[in-house]
Amino acid sequence: MRPTLSLIRREFSAYFFSPIAYVAIALFLTVTAYLFCLTLLMLTERGPDGVSYSMELLVNNVPFWLVFMAIPPLLTMRLFAEERSTGTLEMLLTAPVRDWQVVFAKYVACYIFYVLMWLPTLLYLPVLTDWKWWTLECGIDPWPIFTTYLGVACAGAMFLSIGMFVSSMVKSQMVAALIALFISMLFVVVGIWRPDLDTSDLPYRILFYFTVPLHFERNFGRGLIDTRHLILYGTVAFLGFFLTIRSLESRRWR
Amino acid sequence: MIHVSQLTKYYGDYAAVRDVSFDVAAGQVVGFLGPNGAGKSTTMRVLAGFLTATSGTATIAGLDVFWDSVEVRRRIGYMPESCPLYTEMRVNEYLHFRAGIKGVYGRQRKQRIAYVLERCWLNEVERQLIGTLSKGFRQRVGLADALLANPPVLILDEPTAGLDPTQIRSTRNLIRELGRQHTILLSTHILSEVEAACDSVIIIHRGRVAVQSSLEALKTRHGQQEHLVMVLGGLGDPNDFRGVPGVMDLRITPSATPGTTRLRIATSEMAELAPRLCMFALEHHWQLIEMFVDRPSLEDLFVEITEEEEASVGV
Repeated sequence: MRPTLSLIRREFSAYFFSPIAYVAIALFLTVTAYLFCLTLLMLTERGPDGVSYSMELLVNNVPFWLVFMAIPPLLTMRLFAEERSTGTLEMLLTAPVRDWQVVFAKYVACYIFYVLMWLPTLLYLPVLTDWKWWTLECGIDPWPIFTTYLGVACAGAMFLSIGMFVSSMVKSQMVAALIALFISMLFVVVGIWRPDLDTSDLPYRILFYFTVPLHFERNFGRGLIDTRHLILYGTVAFLGFFLTIRSLESRRWR
Repeated sequence: MIHVSQLTKYYGDYAAVRDVSFDVAAGQVVGFLGPNGAGKSTTMRVLAGFLTATSGTATIAGLDVFWDSVEVRRRIGYMPESCPLYTEMRVNEYLHFRAGIKGVYGRQRKQRIAYVLERCWLNEVERQLIGTLSKGFRQRVGLADALLANPPVLILDEPTAGLDPTQIRSTRNLIRELGRQHTILLSTHILSEVEAACDSVIIIHRGRVAVQSSLEALKTRHGQQEHLVMVLGGLGDPNDFRGVPGVMDLRITPSATPGTTRLRIATSEMAELAPRLCMFALEHHWQLIEMFVDRPSLEDLFVEITEEEEASVGV
């Protein structure tokens, strides 16, 4: 276990040596802050306008998904591609650690960074839940917020895992980011494009299965936990993890 | 300690290493020699567990490099060619990290890091970013890393490539000293290095082992004896020297300076013959300009062996 901790520590600290991480955080926080402002305006609007669920605007929104889709590839692109292009992978794979430990450590480090990126958004929660400091009660039901965060945590795990796998396949960080972005787009594009389909039709139902923004719009954002989505995220994350180990292993016999 | 048998590695259709077998006994410093692209690095990568062989087996300390890869890696310190390092880390941070993944913790970690910093002359750059270090210092960081867990076997891929002459000399001495505690397999294509640092040598050529023996045995086996070379000024017949007792063979070779004659004399009694030749030269009014013993260098042997190999393969 201790070698894995050493690896995680090094991977995590390596994020702070490159400008990309800061760019990703800045971009993400700017967009979420803007959406928070919009939500605030809606909430304080008089009349029939407004939002029905606290985080609705934050997650049912094209700019948010564009940013959300672009950030995991930025975080994962360097994981293996950098090590391959500089040759340090040889040092890593000849140390007495198993391949899965290396993959696990890199994944955990990048997931921690992802969580860290979301942490500042917790500052909005007292406002979004209409938290009353003197009675310690929420004026607005906090459950949809909790489910939204759960969805974000799980969907992020999926996107990061895809990005990590792509990074283990290529030598160039740029190529890794672009391919990962393309694959992530398959999970997001329907939410942006919004085809005019009957929601009871088969094509729509198929699209709905793997379109992450729709999951948030119809379930997580409204306080519903649909296990089908969680299973999709979990399966894809696991698959990416597994394929990364295999791809690393294949380096050895190629 | 290291036992390799019939190791073969293909990259696609290209055989980088074919049927290589050799042994390295515990406590030896063995030079792994060969021209560029001979398969040195590939063999070492297989031993270090970075690549797997297409066929054949290799064991280190009795453990198979394929089946017990992690255990084997615990027992070797490997320094890859060109020594890739995390350039954004400081030297001590890097060593701390490497000690962590090699399972060296606590007080031992501190001690080992202090020891390798001292051993590889890194104390002055301890706090420096690796990216700002010169090539020579980076090589030393790589060597320090290989030594960290105090492994019984060291596998060093071209440890002196790209160093300046003083650094090469000090690295060589270090390897010599380390050879007392570790079994070392080091690759190079610089022959003087092998002569200076190694007990025995393995010559690999076109993916095959051409020769494995100790340096001494190698020189005698290849029948290249020492020759006495004389450069003479004068107008007499150099063939007169054949009459000197002890001269087994004499060849007149072209001389660099005009008006002089260069003789290459084979003998079995070097010590006695030299004064006799001097006397003879004086008596017959030759000017003795130069006289020295020509020992075959590893360089000559290497060229000879690789050419032989090529001829036998029919290239």
